[in-house]
Amino acid sequence: MGRVDPIGHAKPGAILYEHMFVEYRPRLVFPGPGREPAEGYLALLAERTRPVSSSQTRLLPVLSPLAGLLPDGSLRRGTTIVVSGLTSAGGPDPSGGGISLAMSLLAAASGAGSWCALVGLPGLGAVAAHDMGLDLDRLPVVPHPGAAWAEVAAALIDGVDLVVLCPPFPPRPVMARRLVARTRERRTVLVVLPGRSGWPEHPDVHLSVSDMHWDGAGTGDGYLQRRRMTVIARGRRSATRPRHHHLWMPSTTGAVEAAGTGIDIDVAAPAVAGPMART
Amino acid sequence: MNRLLVVRCPDLLHEDENGAALRAFAKVVDAVESYCPWITTVRPGICSLPARGPARYFGGEGPLAQLIADAISDIATVEVGVADGLFAAVLAARSGLVVPAGGTPGFLAPFPVGILGRPELAELLARLGIRTLGDFAALPESHVLGRFGADGVACHMVAGGRSGELGDLCQPVAGRRVGEQRAAGRPAGAVVGEPGFWGGVSDTDVRAGRALAAVQDLIGPDGVVTARLQGGRGPAQRARFTTWDAGENRVDSSLGAPWPGRIPSPAPAVVHPAPLPAELAAADGQPVSVSGRGLLTAVPSRLSVEQQPWSTVTAWAGPWPSDERWWSRSHRRGARLQAVTASDAHLLLVERGRWWVEATYG
Repeated sequence: MGRVDPIGHAKPGAILYEHMFVEYRPRLVFPGPGREPAEGYLALLAERTRPVSSSQTRLLPVLSPLAGLLPDGSLRRGTTIVVSGLTSAGGPDPSGGGISLAMSLLAAASGAGSWCALVGLPGLGAVAAHDMGLDLDRLPVVPHPGAAWAEVAAALIDGVDLVVLCPPFPPRPVMARRLVARTRERRTVLVVLPGRSGWPEHPDVHLSVSDMHWDGAGTGDGYLQRRRMTVIARGRRSATRPRHHHLWMPSTTGAVEAAGTGIDIDVAAPAVAGPMART
Repeated sequence: MNRLLVVRCPDLLHEDENGAALRAFAKVVDAVESYCPWITTVRPGICSLPARGPARYFGGEGPLAQLIADAISDIATVEVGVADGLFAAVLAARSGLVVPAGGTPGFLAPFPVGILGRPELAELLARLGIRTLGDFAALPESHVLGRFGADGVACHMVAGGRSGELGDLCQPVAGRRVGEQRAAGRPAGAVVGEPGFWGGVSDTDVRAGRALAAVQDLIGPDGVVTARLQGGRGPAQRARFTTWDAGENRVDSSLGAPWPGRIPSPAPAVVHPAPLPAELAAADGQPVSVSGRGLLTAVPSRLSVEQQPWSTVTAWAGPWPSDERWWSRSHRRGARLQAVTASDAHLLLVERGRWWVEATYG
């Protein structure tokens, strides 16, 4: 026992057990009529009442550390993005960093007022999504779409700005093609997490995690603090050259930050994105 | 069928133009709510609550009905009744009766069939010589189905006291209006919700709502959920998934409160709806466990989730013992451990010597 706080937020005099962690988070509290608003209250309020992005804008915002991965520096409406985690992931879910990466793509747009929807992700880490900047009020989740997953995805593509799809079954090529065509027509952004089901279509952008390393944990000491992740972006047209990008995802606060040197172009790698193989 | 207590205010059944009746009824609901929190507004002027629990606490259904009637009498004229099912309970309230358990069919029998609110059915039954609910209930159900269809069977079940309510007795819209009225009448709390956009609901909200309604039509209303954050220690306790409801007013609760013992940020990206069984082994193949003093019995070296091939544990942190609800029967004692493998990091929970993957930092 001691006056030690592992995250350095201890109030003077607070006695904490070594394994106990306390978090303090700013809270939007209205001071009541006739009293001065707390410092930062107005700024927080202004941040939360930003106007929604209209469906007429061509681009949706993306977190600045991710801008270098995408051809326009933001999400272009009508495009399909395939996100895959570490291929060696032996876990139960198609994760390996893929889910974090897909979430981070939504974060800025969701925070700016766009509607996002998740299809086929049964175990959303809501706290992680919130910390990354997603607005849970505009994030409906269809955890178990079952056999109707394509219809569910199609209905959501009609109505929301970004759809994350994790097909529970291997999609037939004609199904995938229809969803992609619908995405283009409705000016939505479709983020596909193919997992083990695969995705038979050529995406506009293919993001894959090639390497990750966790900071903070050792042999029983510390705790997981942040993850350094290398993401490779491949694409079509203006984005054919694979680009490597280093990110802290999540960073110590759960957000996304740029790490290391930024973009370096890999000349040796194949320059065309192919369809995802079923594995 | 549930024992229901119905509070009926005969003067407040009809809305007037300036909403005075609705406001008065909101006060009635507030007053009743102090006796039982599970109150349902059936329609303006009528609300119901399950009688079983409160009746046990307040010493019987009769005393409970008397208590509630006394509490409301200075707000509006009130009738209180208890019976099985909503239909019978509303009739009991009109007569101010407490119908004993099982006595509902007998209570309903002398009422005329017109009380079902189906004029055509009542006229036809009267011409057949069936004038009371008791007579109607005595008809064989298969004959009722053949002659009057599904709606006839619904009425038949209500008449026989086998079903609680007719479909149209509840007016959810009106009930919601009462709820809004109550919310508007409350003093504003310290926490304000998200301010709406200027001009209320935007086009994108309407479009998204329509798409979500389509999805709910496809796979059922419970198929679409939404996450709400709440206080808690484990990752599964920190979020609650509720069925998507477009009209819901959402306020996140207790986000600022500290939870000592919570694993600090970053939070895991995947929280498994049901923890996955896992095995943690030392280098020599012996299973690793956590001792009563919260220490690992061996150095973890390999992890297998759901019988999948072993993967090497490259780093780990913990264990952090968690001793929750030690004061109650739902006491849980365990320990959490973060384990990093080549491709993933997991949050493991050990309880009674068995390892579970609670969440994955996917």
